[in-house]
Amino acid sequence: MTACLLETNALGRSFGALAAVSGVEFRLDAGARHALIGPNGAGKTTFINLLSGVLQPTLGRVVLKGRDITGIPEARRVKLGIARTFQINRLFRGLTVLENVYIAVSERVGAAADMFRPAGARGDVIREAMHLLAMLKLEDDAGRRVSELPYGRQRLVEIAVALGLKPEVLLLDEPAAGVPSAESHIILDAVGRLSKDIGVLIIEHDMDVVFRFAERITVMVGGRIFAEGTPKEIAADPEIRAVYLGQHSHV
Amino acid sequence: MIFGVDVASMILGGVAAGMVLFIVSVGLSVTMGLMGFVNLAHGAFAMLGGYVIVLSMNYWGVPFLPALAFGFVVTAAVSVVFERTLYARLYRAAELEQVLFTIGLVFMTIASVTLLIGPENQQLRLPAMLQGQVNLGFTQYRTYSVFLIATGIIIVLGLWLGFERTRIGAQIRATVDNRRMAESLGINVNRLFTLTFAFGSGMAALGGGLGAEFLGLDPQYALKYLVYFLIVVAVGGLGRVTGVFYAALLIGVLDFVLKKYIPKGGTLFIYGLTILLLLWRPQGLFAGKST
Amino acid sequence: MIAPALNPALHPAALAFAGRHQPRVWEPIVWILALVFYFAFPNHLGFGTELLITILFALSLDLVLGYAGIVTLGHAAFFGVGAYTVGMLAYHGFWNEPISSLMLAAIVAALVGLGSGLVLLRTQGLTLLMLSLCTMALLEEAANLGHEYTGGFDGLASLPIPKLLGLFEFNPLYPRTQYVYVLTVLFISFLFIRTVVYSPFGQSLTGIRENTLRMHAVGSPVRARLVTCYTISAAIAGIAGGLWAQANAYVNLTTLGLDRAAMVLIVLILGGCGRMYGAFVGAVAYMVLAHFLAKLYPTAWQLGLGFLLVVIALFARNGILGIGEALLRRFRAKRMPR
Repeated sequence: MTACLLETNALGRSFGALAAVSGVEFRLDAGARHALIGPNGAGKTTFINLLSGVLQPTLGRVVLKGRDITGIPEARRVKLGIARTFQINRLFRGLTVLENVYIAVSERVGAAADMFRPAGARGDVIREAMHLLAMLKLEDDAGRRVSELPYGRQRLVEIAVALGLKPEVLLLDEPAAGVPSAESHIILDAVGRLSKDIGVLIIEHDMDVVFRFAERITVMVGGRIFAEGTPKEIAADPEIRAVYLGQHSHV
Repeated sequence: MIFGVDVASMILGGVAAGMVLFIVSVGLSVTMGLMGFVNLAHGAFAMLGGYVIVLSMNYWGVPFLPALAFGFVVTAAVSVVFERTLYARLYRAAELEQVLFTIGLVFMTIASVTLLIGPENQQLRLPAMLQGQVNLGFTQYRTYSVFLIATGIIIVLGLWLGFERTRIGAQIRATVDNRRMAESLGINVNRLFTLTFAFGSGMAALGGGLGAEFLGLDPQYALKYLVYFLIVVAVGGLGRVTGVFYAALLIGVLDFVLKKYIPKGGTLFIYGLTILLLLWRPQGLFAGKST
Repeated sequence: MIAPALNPALHPAALAFAGRHQPRVWEPIVWILALVFYFAFPNHLGFGTELLITILFALSLDLVLGYAGIVTLGHAAFFGVGAYTVGMLAYHGFWNEPISSLMLAAIVAALVGLGSGLVLLRTQGLTLLMLSLCTMALLEEAANLGHEYTGGFDGLASLPIPKLLGLFEFNPLYPRTQYVYVLTVLFISFLFIRTVVYSPFGQSLTGIRENTLRMHAVGSPVRARLVTCYTISAAIAGIAGGLWAQANAYVNLTTLGLDRAAMVLIVLILGGCGRMYGAFVGAVAYMVLAHFLAKLYPTAWQLGLGFLLVVIALFARNGILGIGEALLRRFRAKRMPR
């Protein structure tokens, strides 16, 4: 049994009368490769927002390594080791790729509050940012503005910024969404090569990717956990095929 | 009882001023709420309308009420031209550009009016029936103030009914609440904005004319009262007719009463109060309600 | 071991980033020109002093608006606080030594910036715009009402400003001391702002400007950064105001009105914001035009200024420097072989 990294107890979030997420009991193990699937509007992104602290739950708790972090705001959860990417790019579009990653790394190593030394003098931060970019094959775009890059490359920057935070928990919200399939494999390869120290939770619609990447799959429907298991168990479950996989086979 | 009558007449004066504030500001609130456009040139449209109304009366002898209608129409027409050719280019731009653009328009308006008409104050000559005092039963009061209050009430009722009962009103409410949803429902947001912009500018023109009697009318008008209009909108809430109405009454009465009792610190108090109100409810004091 | 050629930290982009804070070749020219002005136009040093103060004020605004992306309409509040600090201390006979007065002006303006920043920066968009406007209007009204201390509408005239360092007299007719003094303060302040802008802190401000939500998601204490930046900017604006009071030997309500707040915004946008030297270019362009036109044809000047603003907002959002950069890029692209 591996150590439990992140878990939720009876987690719920309502918007007015609509319960977007309710009663979710979930656990993410250290080093996990965990996929979260479900039809559109199932509450997957809301769930990620609750884990990362973008939203506060109306019910239940979020626990990181045995510590209740439910009331802790987003920025401080990052310091505790939770990083995420967004379904729609949230990048510093007017800045260069290197600057984007530099900002993340400098926040993590505590350099960002320094106002009397040049940013360029922090060789350690630049080096780490450039190594991350090299890992994602982005180093030749390092000096270009994010807004000038094609969308697929921007998705990679999105991941690079999150990795710059050296998270223990990485939440990926559809990392390849909106990217032509010819390019999406670059992104998914990069995700596949992530260090085994990181517990990864990925929302993904492409079932090939999910079954290739994930060691565990959680199926969410109508804001609740519908099923959870290994890819084999999920693939064999006739009910899931009917509710979810069948629904998507025509996509 | 002298004191009671005194207070009542003071409050009446404040309410009358508040009505003018409301008539000018309501268009600003709706257009800001609808398109998120920071229109600092709204006061310039009020001034333009005021000039059309007062000058057409003074030079062509147009009677008061037709002059008001004329001012409304002319200003609305001019505003449509501006909206379609210039404002529309900046809907997606950042606030800063909208601020610069509209400040630029204000400067140009002030300068043009000074050049073409002159820097002096334009006198509004009220028709005889609106001059003098009227007996309200408990006190004698200025006829024009009573006229302003009556006009204000008619307008707020009309707008409220229009907002609640008509198709356009429903479309405006829907768009203020959630623009993307409204677009996906097939509401033509651009056309809606042109319409409300024209109507809002027309209302501002009415306010400019109606208020010229006690606010004055000179080229600096466009800048002088801008902070007041903005405060009313910020306190009342964006895109809220009734909210702006209450806010305008509140500010109008406060201004009137405070200037009487603490002639020096009144304005200071209003600015301070506005800051506190905005910190307490950044969306505006009356933003909770739907209209 | 990674071979040096393959080491990503030696990639040209990384090297460019590591050296981006180094002074450019052309940067000394700006300061040489400022010195040349002193000798070439001895009869226009009053104008020159006003110009340098405007540059400093616009630089302080650039930090909040150009780098951190805070849209404020009330920046003259801090200019005014600095000016009134110097003015009131000198007029009422408490303290008038120029350099320490200037430091006091910076401290008082910073405190006002910190206090108002802590509340203002909880909001954004229109609310922030309104609050900054109201705060300034509040201070202006307070200065108007506190007649006993501030001189009310007339302000405080004939401030007794002693010799600088006990040696150089502030002569209102031949403002040579003022010019050199203001130029020195501007240079020191500029070096400070330049350091901040190129620091990791400055980089994080640009992150907040570009995408505040993502800054939260990389663990940045956004509010604290903004308040810090706002406070620093207020202190510098306060220094500019203090200089204005010392150079003119008076203060009045124009130091903290909407006119001045709009003017500094126009100066900065005209030159190009988020570029540091935009403040220089904008101030020169604006002040020279204003100097010649505003006195001759004040109304035409206002008309032209309005037109200029409309044109900038619609077509040239990055100001004069932005246009220059675009032309330079086009020129380089043409020269480069395909």
